[in-house]
Amino acid sequence: MKILAGICLMLALMLPAQADQKLVMARSHAKAQHVMDVLKETLPEYGYSVAHVQRCDGGMAEFHYKSDFYRVVFFGKLEEVRRILADHPEMSPYLPLKIAVIAENDETVLAAMDPRALGAFFPDDKKLQLQFARWYNDIQAMLDEMRQLKKK
Amino acid sequence: MKHLNWLLLLLCAPLLAAPDGKALYEDNCSVCHHSRGEGGIGLPLTDEILSQVSDDYIAKTIRHGRPGRIMPSFEALSPAQVKAIVRYVRSWSGKPGPVFKTAKLKGDAKLGKPLYEKNCVRCHGKDGSGEGPGTGVTMSRERTFMVMPAALNNRGFQQSASDAMIHDIILSGRKVGGMPSFKSKLSDQEISHVVAYLRTLKPPVIRQGMEEWRGKPAYIMESPYDFDTTVENVKQALTGANFRIFPQRYLEQGLADEFSVNTRQVSIRFCNFKELYHLLNIDPRLGTVLPCRINVIERDGKVLVISANVAQLATLFNNQELSEVGVLMEEVILAVMEEATL
Repeated sequence: MKILAGICLMLALMLPAQADQKLVMARSHAKAQHVMDVLKETLPEYGYSVAHVQRCDGGMAEFHYKSDFYRVVFFGKLEEVRRILADHPEMSPYLPLKIAVIAENDETVLAAMDPRALGAFFPDDKKLQLQFARWYNDIQAMLDEMRQLKKK
Repeated sequence: MKHLNWLLLLLCAPLLAAPDGKALYEDNCSVCHHSRGEGGIGLPLTDEILSQVSDDYIAKTIRHGRPGRIMPSFEALSPAQVKAIVRYVRSWSGKPGPVFKTAKLKGDAKLGKPLYEKNCVRCHGKDGSGEGPGTGVTMSRERTFMVMPAALNNRGFQQSASDAMIHDIILSGRKVGGMPSFKSKLSDQEISHVVAYLRTLKPPVIRQGMEEWRGKPAYIMESPYDFDTTVENVKQALTGANFRIFPQRYLEQGLADEFSVNTRQVSIRFCNFKELYHLLNIDPRLGTVLPCRINVIERDGKVLVISANVAQLATLFNNQELSEVGVLMEEVILAVMEEATL
Protein backbone atom coordinates (compact mmCIF):
# COMPACT_ATOMS: atom_id res chain seq x y z
CA MET A 1 0.00 0.00 0.00
CA LYS A 2 2.87 2.31 0.95
CA ILE A 3 4.60 1.50 -2.35
CA LEU A 4 1.45 2.35 -4.29
CA ALA A 5 1.09 5.64 -2.41
CA GLY A 6 4.73 6.39 -3.19
CA ILE A 7 4.21 5.66 -6.89
CA CYS A 8 1.15 7.93 -6.96
CA LEU A 9 3.15 10.71 -5.33
CA MET A 10 6.00 10.23 -7.79
CA LEU A 11 3.54 10.40 -10.67
CA ALA A 12 2.09 13.62 -9.28
CA LEU A 13 5.59 15.08 -9.25
CA MET A 14 6.52 13.79 -12.70
CA LEU A 15 3.36 14.37 -14.66
CA PRO A 16 2.64 17.87 -15.86
CA ALA A 17 -0.75 19.30 -14.99
CA GLN A 18 -3.21 18.78 -17.85
CA ALA A 19 -3.88 22.50 -18.03
CA ASP A 20 -1.39 25.29 -17.58
CA GLN A 21 -3.58 26.88 -14.94
CA LYS A 22 -2.49 26.93 -11.35
CA LEU A 23 -5.84 26.25 -9.75
CA VAL A 24 -7.42 22.93 -8.82
CA MET A 25 -11.12 23.05 -9.60
CA ALA A 26 -14.16 20.79 -9.67
CA ARG A 27 -17.88 21.04 -10.28
CA SER A 28 -20.32 19.23 -8.03
CA HIS A 29 -23.94 18.66 -9.01
CA ALA A 30 -24.93 18.99 -5.35
CA LYS A 31 -26.01 22.27 -3.76
CA ALA A 32 -23.38 24.40 -2.08
CA GLN A 33 -24.55 23.90 1.51
CA HIS A 34 -24.50 20.13 1.10
CA VAL A 35 -21.05 20.22 -0.52
CA MET A 36 -19.86 22.41 2.32
CA ASP A 37 -21.15 19.95 4.93
CA VAL A 38 -19.59 16.95 3.19
CA LEU A 39 -16.28 18.76 2.65
CA LYS A 40 -16.06 19.52 6.36
CA GLU A 41 -16.53 15.80 7.05
CA THR A 42 -14.07 14.76 4.34
CA LEU A 43 -11.15 16.94 5.45
CA PRO A 44 -10.56 15.01 8.72
CA GLU A 45 -10.60 11.75 6.75
CA TYR A 46 -7.48 13.03 5.01
CA GLY A 47 -5.92 14.02 8.33
CA TYR A 48 -6.71 17.74 8.17
CA SER A 49 -8.44 19.92 10.74
CA VAL A 50 -10.87 22.60 9.65
CA ALA A 51 -9.35 25.79 11.05
CA HIS A 52 -12.31 28.00 10.20
CA VAL A 53 -14.82 28.93 7.54
CA GLN A 54 -14.94 32.42 6.06
CA ARG A 55 -18.40 33.58 4.93
CA CYS A 56 -17.56 35.86 2.02
CA ASP A 57 -21.23 36.15 1.03
CA GLY A 58 -22.16 37.20 4.58
CA GLY A 59 -19.53 39.93 4.61
CA MET A 60 -20.71 41.28 1.29
CA ALA A 61 -24.38 41.13 2.28
CA GLU A 62 -23.54 43.24 5.34
CA PHE A 63 -22.50 45.92 2.90
CA HIS A 64 -25.56 45.41 0.67
CA TYR A 65 -23.72 43.54 -2.09
CA LYS A 66 -25.75 40.67 -3.48
CA SER A 67 -23.90 37.39 -3.75
CA ASP A 68 -24.62 33.69 -4.06
CA PHE A 69 -23.36 31.24 -1.40
CA TYR A 70 -19.63 31.81 -1.17
CA ARG A 71 -17.45 30.30 1.54
CA VAL A 72 -13.76 29.70 2.02
CA VAL A 73 -12.73 26.70 4.12
CA PHE A 74 -9.34 26.92 5.84
CA PHE A 75 -7.70 23.64 6.79
CA GLY A 76 -4.36 22.20 7.74
CA LYS A 77 -2.26 19.86 9.85
CA LEU A 78 -0.72 21.62 12.85
CA GLU A 79 2.60 19.77 12.71
CA GLU A 80 3.02 20.53 9.01
CA VAL A 81 2.24 24.20 9.51
CA ARG A 82 4.73 24.45 12.38
CA ARG A 83 7.46 22.55 10.57
CA ILE A 84 7.17 24.61 7.40
CA LEU A 85 6.92 28.00 9.12
CA ALA A 86 9.99 27.21 11.23
CA ASP A 87 12.08 27.18 8.04
CA HIS A 88 9.95 29.34 5.76
CA PRO A 89 8.06 32.22 7.41
CA GLU A 90 7.41 33.49 3.88
CA MET A 91 5.01 30.54 3.51
CA SER A 92 2.74 31.97 6.23
CA PRO A 93 0.37 33.77 3.81
CA TYR A 94 -0.41 30.41 2.19
CA LEU A 95 -1.21 28.56 5.42
CA PRO A 96 -3.59 27.13 6.44
CA LEU A 97 -4.60 25.81 3.03
CA LYS A 98 -8.00 26.79 1.67
CA ILE A 99 -10.76 25.74 -0.67
CA ALA A 100 -13.40 28.15 -2.00
CA VAL A 101 -16.96 26.80 -2.23
CA ILE A 102 -19.00 28.81 -4.73
CA ALA A 103 -22.67 28.30 -5.60
CA GLU A 104 -23.58 28.35 -9.27
CA ASN A 105 -27.37 28.14 -9.29
CA ASP A 106 -28.13 24.63 -7.99
CA GLU A 107 -24.61 23.38 -8.49
CA THR A 108 -21.30 24.13 -6.82
CA VAL A 109 -17.85 25.06 -8.02
CA LEU A 110 -14.89 24.28 -5.79
CA ALA A 111 -11.55 25.96 -6.35
CA ALA A 112 -8.20 25.89 -4.62
CA MET A 113 -4.78 27.13 -5.47
CA ASP A 114 -2.61 24.32 -6.85
CA PRO A 115 0.08 24.13 -4.12
CA ARG A 116 2.57 22.99 -6.78
CA ALA A 117 2.40 26.53 -8.18
CA LEU A 118 4.39 27.58 -5.11
CA GLY A 119 7.17 25.21 -6.18
CA ALA A 120 8.50 27.85 -8.58
CA PHE A 121 9.44 30.00 -5.58
CA PHE A 122 11.49 27.21 -4.01
CA PRO A 123 13.20 25.47 -6.95
CA ASP A 124 15.97 23.90 -4.85
CA ASP A 125 13.92 22.74 -1.89
CA LYS A 126 13.04 19.12 -2.63
CA LYS A 127 11.27 18.64 0.71
CA LEU A 128 8.91 21.50 0.01
CA GLN A 129 8.31 20.31 -3.55
CA LEU A 130 7.28 16.95 -2.15
CA GLN A 131 5.02 18.64 0.40
CA PHE A 132 3.35 20.69 -2.36
CA ALA A 133 2.76 17.51 -4.37
CA ARG A 134 1.24 15.81 -1.31
CA TRP A 135 -1.12 18.72 -0.74
CA TYR A 136 -2.06 18.74 -4.41
CA ASN A 137 -2.86 15.01 -4.29
CA ASP A 138 -5.04 15.46 -1.21
CA ILE A 139 -6.90 18.50 -2.58
CA GLN A 140 -7.45 16.79 -5.92
CA ALA A 141 -8.73 13.62 -4.22
CA MET A 142 -11.10 15.57 -1.97
CA LEU A 143 -12.42 17.61 -4.88
CA ASP A 144 -12.93 14.38 -6.82
CA GLU A 145 -15.07 13.15 -3.93
CA MET A 146 -17.14 16.36 -4.06
CA ARG A 147 -17.54 15.87 -7.81
CA GLN A 148 -19.07 12.46 -7.18
CA LEU A 149 -21.80 13.84 -4.88
CA LYS A 150 -25.30 13.30 -6.16
CA LYS A 151 -27.70 16.16 -6.83
CA LYS A 152 -29.44 16.99 -3.56
CA MET B 1 8.45 -9.07 -10.20
CA LYS B 2 5.08 -10.55 -11.07
CA HIS B 3 3.40 -7.99 -8.84
CA LEU B 4 5.37 -5.17 -10.43
CA ASN B 5 4.21 -6.25 -13.90
CA TRP B 6 0.62 -6.21 -12.76
CA LEU B 7 1.11 -2.82 -11.18
CA LEU B 8 2.64 -1.41 -14.37
CA LEU B 9 -0.18 -2.88 -16.42
CA LEU B 10 -2.69 -1.32 -14.05
CA LEU B 11 -1.01 2.08 -14.29
CA CYS B 12 -0.70 1.93 -18.08
CA ALA B 13 -4.20 0.65 -18.77
CA PRO B 14 -5.75 4.13 -19.01
CA LEU B 15 -3.07 5.13 -21.51
CA LEU B 16 -3.86 2.19 -23.79
CA ALA B 17 -7.64 2.61 -23.76
CA ALA B 18 -9.39 4.89 -26.26
CA PRO B 19 -9.94 8.29 -24.64
CA ASP B 20 -13.40 8.86 -23.21
CA GLY B 21 -14.52 12.33 -24.39
CA LYS B 22 -17.30 12.63 -21.82
CA ALA B 23 -14.99 11.80 -18.92
CA LEU B 24 -12.31 14.14 -20.25
CA TYR B 25 -14.84 16.94 -20.68
CA GLU B 26 -16.12 16.40 -17.13
CA ASP B 27 -12.58 16.38 -15.72
CA ASN B 28 -11.23 19.35 -17.62
CA CYS B 29 -14.01 21.54 -19.00
CA SER B 30 -17.26 21.16 -17.06
CA VAL B 31 -16.12 23.17 -14.05
CA CYS B 32 -16.12 26.35 -16.19
CA HIS B 33 -18.35 25.50 -19.18
CA HIS B 34 -20.89 23.52 -17.11
CA SER B 35 -22.09 19.96 -17.64
CA ARG B 36 -23.45 20.45 -21.16
CA GLY B 37 -21.98 23.78 -22.15
CA GLU B 38 -24.43 25.97 -20.28
CA GLY B 39 -21.52 28.25 -19.35
CA GLY B 40 -20.45 29.63 -16.00
CA ILE B 41 -16.98 30.90 -15.31
CA GLY B 42 -16.36 30.01 -18.94
CA LEU B 43 -18.15 30.74 -22.19
CA PRO B 44 -21.47 28.98 -22.87
CA LEU B 45 -21.04 26.43 -25.66
CA THR B 46 -24.45 26.95 -27.23
CA ASP B 47 -25.73 25.17 -30.35
CA GLU B 48 -25.43 28.46 -32.24
CA ILE B 49 -21.82 29.04 -31.25
CA LEU B 50 -20.85 25.42 -31.96
CA SER B 51 -22.56 25.56 -35.35
CA GLN B 52 -20.30 28.49 -36.31
CA VAL B 53 -16.94 27.04 -35.36
CA SER B 54 -14.99 24.16 -36.84
CA ASP B 55 -13.64 21.13 -35.02
CA ASP B 56 -10.19 22.45 -35.78
CA TYR B 57 -11.02 25.74 -34.03
CA ILE B 58 -12.28 23.93 -30.91
CA ALA B 59 -9.24 21.66 -30.85
CA LYS B 60 -6.83 24.58 -31.21
CA THR B 61 -8.72 26.55 -28.56
CA ILE B 62 -8.33 23.64 -26.14
CA ARG B 63 -4.66 23.38 -27.05
CA HIS B 64 -3.75 27.10 -26.92
CA GLY B 65 -6.36 28.45 -24.48
CA ARG B 66 -6.84 32.19 -24.23
CA PRO B 67 -3.85 33.79 -22.52
CA GLY B 68 -5.08 36.33 -19.99
CA ARG B 69 -8.76 35.45 -20.56
CA ILE B 70 -9.23 32.63 -18.01
CA MET B 71 -9.29 29.68 -20.47
CA PRO B 72 -6.05 27.78 -19.83
CA SER B 73 -4.11 25.92 -22.48
CA PHE B 74 -4.34 22.15 -22.21
CA GLU B 75 -1.00 21.31 -23.74
CA ALA B 76 -0.61 18.03 -21.88
CA LEU B 77 -3.72 16.50 -23.46
CA SER B 78 -2.85 14.18 -26.34
CA PRO B 79 -4.27 14.84 -29.83
CA ALA B 80 -6.53 11.80 -29.36
CA GLN B 81 -7.84 13.19 -26.07
CA VAL B 82 -8.56 16.61 -27.60
CA LYS B 83 -10.31 14.91 -30.50
CA ALA B 84 -12.42 12.89 -28.06
CA ILE B 85 -13.51 16.07 -26.24
CA VAL B 86 -14.48 17.72 -29.55
CA ARG B 87 -16.43 14.59 -30.53
CA TYR B 88 -18.26 14.64 -27.19
CA VAL B 89 -19.15 18.34 -27.49
CA ARG B 90 -20.47 17.70 -31.01
CA SER B 91 -22.60 14.84 -29.72
CA TRP B 92 -24.84 17.32 -27.87
CA SER B 93 -26.47 18.49 -31.08
CA GLY B 94 -25.59 15.43 -33.15
CA LYS B 95 -24.59 17.73 -36.00
CA PRO B 96 -21.10 17.92 -37.47
CA GLY B 97 -19.27 21.24 -37.29
CA PRO B 98 -18.60 23.38 -40.34
CA VAL B 99 -15.35 22.98 -42.23
CA PHE B 100 -13.52 26.11 -43.39
CA LYS B 101 -10.75 26.63 -45.88
CA THR B 102 -7.44 27.23 -44.17
CA ALA B 103 -6.06 29.57 -46.83
CA LYS B 104 -5.64 33.23 -45.89
CA LEU B 105 -8.22 35.60 -47.36
CA LYS B 106 -7.02 38.30 -49.67
CA GLY B 107 -7.75 41.50 -47.81
CA ASP B 108 -6.06 44.82 -47.18
CA ALA B 109 -5.62 45.72 -43.50
CA LYS B 110 -5.42 49.45 -44.35
CA LEU B 111 -8.85 49.28 -45.94
CA GLY B 112 -10.13 47.08 -43.11
CA LYS B 113 -9.17 49.53 -40.32
CA PRO B 114 -11.86 52.19 -40.99
CA LEU B 115 -14.45 49.45 -41.53
CA TYR B 116 -13.51 47.87 -38.19
CA GLU B 117 -13.65 51.26 -36.46
CA LYS B 118 -17.07 51.98 -37.89
CA ASN B 119 -18.70 48.58 -37.33
CA CYS B 120 -16.86 46.59 -34.67
CA VAL B 121 -15.09 48.90 -32.24
CA ARG B 122 -18.14 49.61 -30.07
CA CYS B 123 -18.24 46.01 -28.81
CA HIS B 124 -14.77 44.63 -29.48
CA GLY B 125 -12.86 47.76 -28.48
CA LYS B 126 -10.31 49.78 -30.39
CA ASP B 127 -7.51 47.31 -29.72
CA GLY B 128 -9.79 44.24 -30.11
CA SER B 129 -9.65 43.31 -26.41
CA GLY B 130 -13.43 42.92 -26.12
CA GLU B 131 -15.50 45.21 -23.96
CA GLY B 132 -16.77 44.79 -20.43
CA PRO B 133 -15.13 43.23 -17.40
CA GLY B 134 -14.79 39.54 -16.74
CA THR B 135 -16.11 36.61 -18.65
CA GLY B 136 -18.75 33.93 -18.24
CA VAL B 137 -22.07 34.20 -16.46
CA THR B 138 -21.26 33.51 -12.83
CA MET B 139 -22.09 35.48 -9.68
CA SER B 140 -24.01 38.69 -10.12
CA ARG B 141 -23.39 38.99 -13.84
CA GLU B 142 -26.44 39.69 -15.96
CA ARG B 143 -27.33 36.12 -16.90
CA THR B 144 -29.27 37.07 -20.01
CA PHE B 145 -26.15 38.61 -21.55
CA MET B 146 -24.41 35.33 -21.97
CA VAL B 147 -21.40 36.01 -24.12
CA MET B 148 -18.91 38.83 -23.76
CA PRO B 149 -17.57 40.17 -27.07
CA ALA B 150 -14.56 38.07 -28.09
CA ALA B 151 -11.03 39.31 -27.52
CA LEU B 152 -10.02 39.38 -31.16
CA ASN B 153 -6.46 40.42 -30.35
CA ASN B 154 -5.91 37.40 -28.12
CA ARG B 155 -3.06 35.17 -29.21
CA GLY B 156 -5.14 32.03 -28.60
CA PHE B 157 -7.99 33.31 -30.75
CA GLN B 158 -5.66 34.37 -33.54
CA GLN B 159 -4.01 30.93 -33.54
CA SER B 160 -7.32 29.05 -33.49
CA ALA B 161 -9.62 30.94 -35.87
CA SER B 162 -9.13 30.68 -39.61
CA ASP B 163 -9.79 33.72 -41.81
CA ALA B 164 -12.72 31.92 -43.43
CA MET B 165 -14.32 31.18 -40.06
CA ILE B 166 -14.08 34.81 -38.90
CA HIS B 167 -15.45 35.90 -42.27
CA ASP B 168 -18.40 33.57 -41.87
CA ILE B 169 -19.23 34.80 -38.34
CA ILE B 170 -19.13 38.46 -39.45
CA LEU B 171 -21.48 37.53 -42.26
CA SER B 172 -23.99 35.65 -40.11
CA GLY B 173 -23.68 37.41 -36.73
CA ARG B 174 -24.15 35.73 -33.38
CA LYS B 175 -27.53 36.05 -31.67
CA VAL B 176 -26.38 34.86 -28.25
CA GLY B 177 -23.87 37.70 -27.90
CA GLY B 178 -25.98 40.33 -29.64
CA MET B 179 -23.68 40.48 -32.66
CA PRO B 180 -25.62 41.55 -35.76
CA SER B 181 -25.20 40.06 -39.22
CA PHE B 182 -23.18 42.29 -41.54
CA LYS B 183 -24.50 40.56 -44.65
CA SER B 184 -26.35 43.65 -45.89
CA LYS B 185 -23.75 46.16 -44.63
CA LEU B 186 -20.43 44.79 -45.86
CA SER B 187 -19.46 43.07 -49.08
CA ASP B 188 -17.43 39.85 -49.11
CA GLN B 189 -14.34 41.82 -50.06
CA GLU B 190 -14.89 44.39 -47.30
CA ILE B 191 -15.20 41.61 -44.74
CA SER B 192 -11.91 40.21 -46.02
CA HIS B 193 -10.35 43.63 -45.41
CA VAL B 194 -11.71 43.61 -41.84
CA VAL B 195 -10.27 40.12 -41.28
CA ALA B 196 -6.89 41.31 -42.58
CA TYR B 197 -7.04 44.20 -40.11
CA LEU B 198 -7.94 41.87 -37.22
CA ARG B 199 -4.76 39.95 -37.94
CA THR B 200 -2.72 43.09 -37.15
CA LEU B 201 -4.22 43.55 -33.66
CA LYS B 202 -1.80 42.87 -30.83
CA PRO B 203 -2.59 41.76 -27.27
CA PRO B 204 -2.09 44.37 -24.54
CA VAL B 205 1.15 44.41 -22.60
CA ILE B 206 0.39 43.37 -19.02
CA ARG B 207 2.13 45.31 -16.26
CA GLN B 208 4.26 43.24 -13.93
CA GLY B 209 4.87 43.61 -10.23
CA MET B 210 7.91 45.42 -8.82
CA GLU B 211 11.16 43.89 -9.95
CA GLU B 212 12.65 43.52 -6.48
CA TRP B 213 9.77 41.27 -5.40
CA ARG B 214 9.43 39.20 -8.57
CA GLY B 215 9.95 35.47 -8.08
CA LYS B 216 9.32 35.75 -4.33
CA PRO B 217 6.28 34.19 -2.66
CA ALA B 218 5.81 36.99 -0.14
CA TYR B 219 6.71 40.53 0.84
CA ILE B 220 8.65 40.47 4.11
CA MET B 221 9.69 43.47 6.19
CA GLU B 222 11.37 43.47 9.58
CA SER B 223 9.71 45.73 12.11
CA PRO B 224 11.79 47.92 14.46
CA TYR B 225 8.91 47.77 16.96
CA ASP B 226 7.86 45.08 19.43
CA PHE B 227 5.25 42.51 18.41
CA ASP B 228 2.15 44.19 19.89
CA THR B 229 3.08 47.65 18.62
CA THR B 230 3.68 46.24 15.15
CA VAL B 231 0.25 44.59 15.12
CA GLU B 232 -1.37 47.90 16.09
CA ASN B 233 0.68 49.76 13.47
CA VAL B 234 -0.47 47.39 10.72
CA LYS B 235 -4.11 47.83 11.76
CA GLN B 236 -3.81 51.60 11.79
CA ALA B 237 -2.13 51.67 8.40
CA LEU B 238 -4.86 49.42 6.95
CA THR B 239 -7.62 51.62 8.37
CA GLY B 240 -5.86 54.63 6.86
CA ALA B 241 -5.92 52.86 3.50
CA ASN B 242 -9.73 52.44 3.77
CA PHE B 243 -9.82 48.75 4.56
CA ARG B 244 -12.25 47.12 6.96
CA ILE B 245 -10.37 44.91 9.43
CA PHE B 246 -11.78 41.60 10.62
CA PRO B 247 -11.13 40.30 14.14
CA GLN B 248 -7.53 39.11 14.10
CA ARG B 249 -6.70 35.42 14.30
CA TYR B 250 -3.68 33.47 15.34
CA LEU B 251 -2.17 31.66 12.40
CA GLU B 252 -2.61 28.32 14.17
CA GLN B 253 -6.10 29.11 15.46
CA GLY B 254 -8.48 26.24 14.83
CA LEU B 255 -5.55 23.85 14.34
CA ALA B 256 -4.07 24.05 17.85
CA ASP B 257 -5.95 24.17 21.16
CA GLU B 258 -6.08 27.43 23.07
CA PHE B 259 -3.27 26.40 25.43
CA SER B 260 -0.71 25.50 22.79
CA VAL B 261 -1.56 27.98 20.03
CA ASN B 262 1.36 30.23 19.10
CA THR B 263 0.17 33.70 20.08
CA ARG B 264 3.17 35.37 18.44
CA GLN B 265 1.90 34.60 14.95
CA VAL B 266 -1.04 36.81 14.12
CA SER B 267 -3.03 37.11 10.91
CA ILE B 268 -4.61 40.53 10.32
CA ARG B 269 -7.36 40.05 7.76
CA PHE B 270 -8.77 42.98 5.85
CA CYS B 271 -11.11 43.78 3.00
CA ASN B 272 -12.66 46.53 0.95
CA PHE B 273 -16.06 45.03 0.11
CA LYS B 274 -16.78 47.36 -2.78
CA GLU B 275 -13.53 46.33 -4.45
CA LEU B 276 -14.06 42.68 -3.53
CA TYR B 277 -17.50 42.65 -5.10
CA HIS B 278 -16.11 44.18 -8.26
CA LEU B 279 -13.25 41.67 -8.36
CA LEU B 280 -15.50 38.66 -7.76
CA ASN B 281 -17.48 39.73 -10.80
CA ILE B 282 -14.28 39.74 -12.82
CA ASP B 283 -13.33 36.29 -11.55
CA PRO B 284 -15.41 34.36 -8.99
CA ARG B 285 -12.50 32.03 -8.25
CA LEU B 286 -10.75 34.80 -6.36
CA GLY B 287 -11.85 33.17 -3.10
CA THR B 288 -8.92 30.77 -3.45
CA VAL B 289 -6.64 33.60 -2.30
CA LEU B 290 -9.02 35.44 0.04
CA PRO B 291 -9.14 37.14 2.42
CA CYS B 292 -6.35 39.69 2.10
CA ARG B 293 -4.16 39.42 5.14
CA ILE B 294 -0.93 40.61 6.62
CA ASN B 295 0.80 38.35 9.11
CA VAL B 296 2.94 39.50 12.01
CA ILE B 297 5.32 36.82 13.23
CA GLU B 298 7.86 36.92 16.04
CA ARG B 299 10.81 34.57 15.65
CA ASP B 300 14.38 34.58 16.93
CA GLY B 301 13.83 37.96 18.59
CA LYS B 302 12.72 39.56 15.30
CA VAL B 303 9.27 40.82 14.38
CA LEU B 304 8.40 40.15 10.73
CA VAL B 305 5.53 41.65 8.74
CA ILE B 306 4.56 39.33 5.89
CA SER B 307 2.04 39.42 3.05
CA ALA B 308 1.52 37.19 0.04
CA ASN B 309 3.07 38.56 -3.13
CA VAL B 310 -0.26 39.64 -4.60
CA ALA B 311 1.18 40.59 -7.98
CA GLN B 312 2.42 37.01 -8.38
CA LEU B 313 -0.73 35.49 -6.86
CA ALA B 314 -2.96 37.33 -9.32
CA THR B 315 -1.23 35.59 -12.22
CA LEU B 316 -2.63 32.23 -11.03
CA PHE B 317 -5.96 33.01 -12.65
CA ASN B 318 -4.87 33.60 -16.26
CA ASN B 319 -7.02 36.70 -16.13
CA GLN B 320 -5.34 39.89 -17.32
CA GLU B 321 -7.80 42.11 -15.46
CA LEU B 322 -6.92 40.44 -12.19
CA SER B 323 -3.22 40.61 -13.02
CA GLU B 324 -3.55 44.39 -13.40
CA VAL B 325 -5.38 44.59 -10.05
CA GLY B 326 -2.63 42.48 -8.44
CA VAL B 327 -0.02 45.03 -9.51
CA LEU B 328 -2.11 47.88 -8.05
CA MET B 329 -2.72 45.94 -4.82
CA GLU B 330 1.01 45.33 -4.51
CA GLU B 331 1.59 49.08 -4.24
CA VAL B 332 -1.14 49.45 -1.61
CA ILE B 333 0.03 46.53 0.54
CA LEU B 334 3.69 47.52 0.39
CA ALA B 335 2.71 51.09 1.39
CA VAL B 336 0.78 49.70 4.40
CA MET B 337 3.69 47.47 5.40
CA GLU B 338 6.19 50.32 5.06
CA GLU B 339 4.01 52.64 7.10
CA ALA B 340 3.68 50.01 9.84
CA THR B 341 7.41 49.39 10.06
CA LEU B 342 8.68 52.95 9.53
